[in-house]
Amino acid sequence: MTRLENLPTLKINSEKALTLHYGGKTYNGVQGDTIATALYANDVRIFGRSLKYHRPRGLYSLDGECSNTLMEVDGIPNVLTENTPAKNGMQIKAQNVLGIDANYDLMGFMDKLSFMMPAGFYYKTMHRPAAVWPMAIKFIRRAAGLGKLSPDFQINGRYDEIYPDTDVCVIGGGPAGMSAAIAAAEFGLRVILVENKPWLGGFFEYRTVKDKNGNPVCMRAASLAEKIEKTSNIRIFKPAAVTGVYNNNHVVGFQRGGEKDFFDRRYFQIRAKSIVTATGCYERPLLFDNNDRPGVMQIGCAHRLARTYGILPGRNAVFSIGHDLGIETAIDLFDLGVTISCVADTRDDGQDPELEKELAKRDIHLLKGWAAVKAVGWKTLKKVVIKPITGSGEHRLECDLLVASAGLTPETGPLTLGHAKLKYDNHTGFFLADRIPEKMHVAGRLIGLNDPLSIEASGNLAGLRAAADCGENDKDGVRQAEKNLASHSGPGRGSKFISFPGTGKKTFVCFDEDATLKNIDQAMEMGFNVPELIKRFTSTGTGPGQGRIPGHNLALYVAHTDESPDKKPKPTKTRPPLVSPLLATYAGGAHDMSKRTPVHEMQKAAGAKMDRVGVKTTAYDSQMAAGGKMERIGVWNRARYFSNDKTSRDEIENVRNNVGMLDASTLGKFRIHGPDALKALQRVYVSDLSKIPEGKIKYSAMCNHDGCIIDDGIIIKKEENDYYFTTSTARAGATVEWIRYHTRYEGWDFHLVNLTDAFGVINLAGPNARKVLEKVTDADVSNEMFPFTGYREYFIQNIPIRAMRLGFVGELSYEFHVPSSYMQSLWEMIEDAGKEYNIMNFGLEAQNTLRMEKGHLIIGSESEQRTTLHDLGLGFLWDRKKTDTIGYFALNQTEKQAGRFKLVGIKMENPGSEPPKDGSPVVTDKIMGYVCTARYSFSLNEPVGMALVDDSLAEKGTKISIFEDGCNGDLKHARIVNMPFYDHDGTRMRM
Amino acid sequence: MSLTLTCPICGERNGYEFRYGGEDKGPMPDSKELTPETWTDYVHNNNSVAGVQKEWWFHRDGCGTWFTLNRDTTTNLEVK
Repeated sequence: MTRLENLPTLKINSEKALTLHYGGKTYNGVQGDTIATALYANDVRIFGRSLKYHRPRGLYSLDGECSNTLMEVDGIPNVLTENTPAKNGMQIKAQNVLGIDANYDLMGFMDKLSFMMPAGFYYKTMHRPAAVWPMAIKFIRRAAGLGKLSPDFQINGRYDEIYPDTDVCVIGGGPAGMSAAIAAAEFGLRVILVENKPWLGGFFEYRTVKDKNGNPVCMRAASLAEKIEKTSNIRIFKPAAVTGVYNNNHVVGFQRGGEKDFFDRRYFQIRAKSIVTATGCYERPLLFDNNDRPGVMQIGCAHRLARTYGILPGRNAVFSIGHDLGIETAIDLFDLGVTISCVADTRDDGQDPELEKELAKRDIHLLKGWAAVKAVGWKTLKKVVIKPITGSGEHRLECDLLVASAGLTPETGPLTLGHAKLKYDNHTGFFLADRIPEKMHVAGRLIGLNDPLSIEASGNLAGLRAAADCGENDKDGVRQAEKNLASHSGPGRGSKFISFPGTGKKTFVCFDEDATLKNIDQAMEMGFNVPELIKRFTSTGTGPGQGRIPGHNLALYVAHTDESPDKKPKPTKTRPPLVSPLLATYAGGAHDMSKRTPVHEMQKAAGAKMDRVGVKTTAYDSQMAAGGKMERIGVWNRARYFSNDKTSRDEIENVRNNVGMLDASTLGKFRIHGPDALKALQRVYVSDLSKIPEGKIKYSAMCNHDGCIIDDGIIIKKEENDYYFTTSTARAGATVEWIRYHTRYEGWDFHLVNLTDAFGVINLAGPNARKVLEKVTDADVSNEMFPFTGYREYFIQNIPIRAMRLGFVGELSYEFHVPSSYMQSLWEMIEDAGKEYNIMNFGLEAQNTLRMEKGHLIIGSESEQRTTLHDLGLGFLWDRKKTDTIGYFALNQTEKQAGRFKLVGIKMENPGSEPPKDGSPVVTDKIMGYVCTARYSFSLNEPVGMALVDDSLAEKGTKISIFEDGCNGDLKHARIVNMPFYDHDGTRMRM
Repeated sequence: MSLTLTCPICGERNGYEFRYGGEDKGPMPDSKELTPETWTDYVHNNNSVAGVQKEWWFHRDGCGTWFTLNRDTTTNLEVK
């Protein structure tokens, strides 16, 4: 089809061709086309098949109000082709079709079976006898749903996100929105304008009709748009959809990237001081039989096909409308070359006399009080039957296009999501905003205005009011704008609701879900009389169009039909997202943020296999053991292994027999100081910390109110009212919050400083550790001067060291806490000094096995949310005189409680077997616990582990059975043994 | 968490920056005087007011202060 040319409103460039592939054929479009307009220009009339009845569906709207034009594009299902820009080479497939394109659908017979699918048939049929349902559900699952996504499909593209803060956010870039944005921007305020089309202008943009000042409205739109583009403090998001509006003026949506943008979709969350909603209207479908036939379309769709895309929507048209826009379009399309049989108008009077004159000039009949009752044809429209609304008679008119619209429906979605309340207004026939939250304003067609000058004036006023919300209160300006608005015509009388008595069997209220008037009647016969409930029962308005097609019609029909005295139309609830985004839009860009320790690069150079730690799931270790690739888990990168041997045997044996070093910088490290520092520590730690001797470390734990252990670590008293303490890696982030929370009422005077990133930690461990240390420091580090559990501060060269003797891995072991900037130097020094002893790195996995052999626990591995201090056998840490410790009451209550999981050591019955995977359940006839950590112990030459088991199984010598994933139900058997497994008396760590 | 909250130190900020700390129930009663019932009331049971309630918030991604404010639970808006 050749396109119309030389129209000022065209958005296509017919010089630049592009091709699309659909149903085995190639179609030519032009630059500026949407996918659907390109296909329409090539005489494609059927774009898809409907959900239940497989009825052919055509182009009905260009604004994405229904699923008619959903197609699969380049592997992505459910692309709204009517407003997705066409790109050269796109591969397009029809959906919900058994066949190659939507023209021929082997499931087309479903339409004849509609009598079998009354409202709510899922709930009512196919349930008896019970055996039918499992078979029926298979069929339904196959038949239901729109589009198919290949499981292998990987979406391409770049997904960005931004969180801008602004003064005024204007939703809608039509005349009202643009006027509002300009008015607010004139105060120098920051304005964001969100528009869903690729251009500004709204419903002015494609219309040549003149406003009362004699300016064609399309020119008016162009001049406003030009002004906006030139105003540097107005930021335009287009094409961009608003998916939700939330409390405190939070506007959420996404923008589609153009050729020059660096993103394909950009998710945004705008925080505005004030919002102007100027979302305008979409059209209200006219209800008649076969109102979904290809060839039936809305006024705006027909008009924009011609004016924006240069495509004549049909050759021979009938109009059945209820609004002056319909008459205007009929005149315009006639002038562009469409034959028009007649214009049926649902209104008896009230048409614009100027428009009537223009119609008469062109010899087009205007039938007042008439409307279409039936469309005839199957794949394409052949005839239309029109009738007077009251009285008798009918015309049957041949045509290939029926422009049908009952009137307008305001787009109230963003308003109601923003907590405005709606009320039905008899004059406009709209649900209008009744109560609007503070700092939110409405303008334009949304409040029922029709006159171009009124619309601009209302936008201007809303913009000034929004500016006032931002502190720019121009009282005179507002008064002037109010006067100006009042001087133009107010909200116009709306079109009435009409529906002809009849079967309504094929009168579609909702295209997406194939819901007909008959379905609504069925629901009402069953006693439903609230639109919201009927919506749920018949699924009317629950499809991809988010209720825009049934919009007001459902509520009006129910009020119209309902015989109860209280029959005011009640709107259905709108829920986000107002427009469906790709899931990839929500996923956004890559959010891989993690921390590295100061010696990260050195560890990597030494062959470390890095892993992420910090916040672990219980499945983490078992998945690692199963060879899983666990990435992006914790906040830290840490060296897990230093070879490909996942048992880390060399690293373990080196620590047991020689000397190794570990980067433990991820430990949480804190300073707390001030007159009330000790009180705060006493509140959260279970032990009495009032008597920590100088030069000693104290091990303790924190519990929550339930007595469940949340953290363990060491505390050092550096001086009076000044303490240094450590937490586990995963707990570091929550520690400040925790301590301040549990002291929030007291107003205690203390300072809490998170030193986690400021200090690095080196753990030097093994029988030769002291020999290495003696080479780098002059300080006396003999066992007498620096014994086990000692704390010392000294210098290595000029590096200030906080040194402590701990026994986590069960050998002679030093921990050095040093400022992060010194970490690399100290690391190199110790490494050099250790060369003569063949010092080796060890990683997290080696440490895990070493500490497990000692029965030392890791919070989160040997505990879960319900594990108390007593369950772990750490009750000795608890000072029962401190009654205001967090967890005191529960520790007291649960001390002797039966039926709890207790931490025990286990040995496998068959010493030759593999250790069970971490997390494997301990079972009898039910789950009685789980394995926390189990590894092959090279010291004992057999697998050992720790498990949390029901106290009935916790007795030494009890045999337990372990179920392991992937063992085909064969149980593993183990026996409860004493811990620790290695160096029971602890002599090695006291060497 | 679309609401904004007013931190006494940092001013009005996005709700995302904060962590909720529960209803304001006052300081923990002395453990010696608690019964299992009163302990459960304090630790676990909430009044769940439909209306304005005083509650604790932590400015986690900000200054690190715990503070109370009043919020209307029916509108999810801070009441100043």
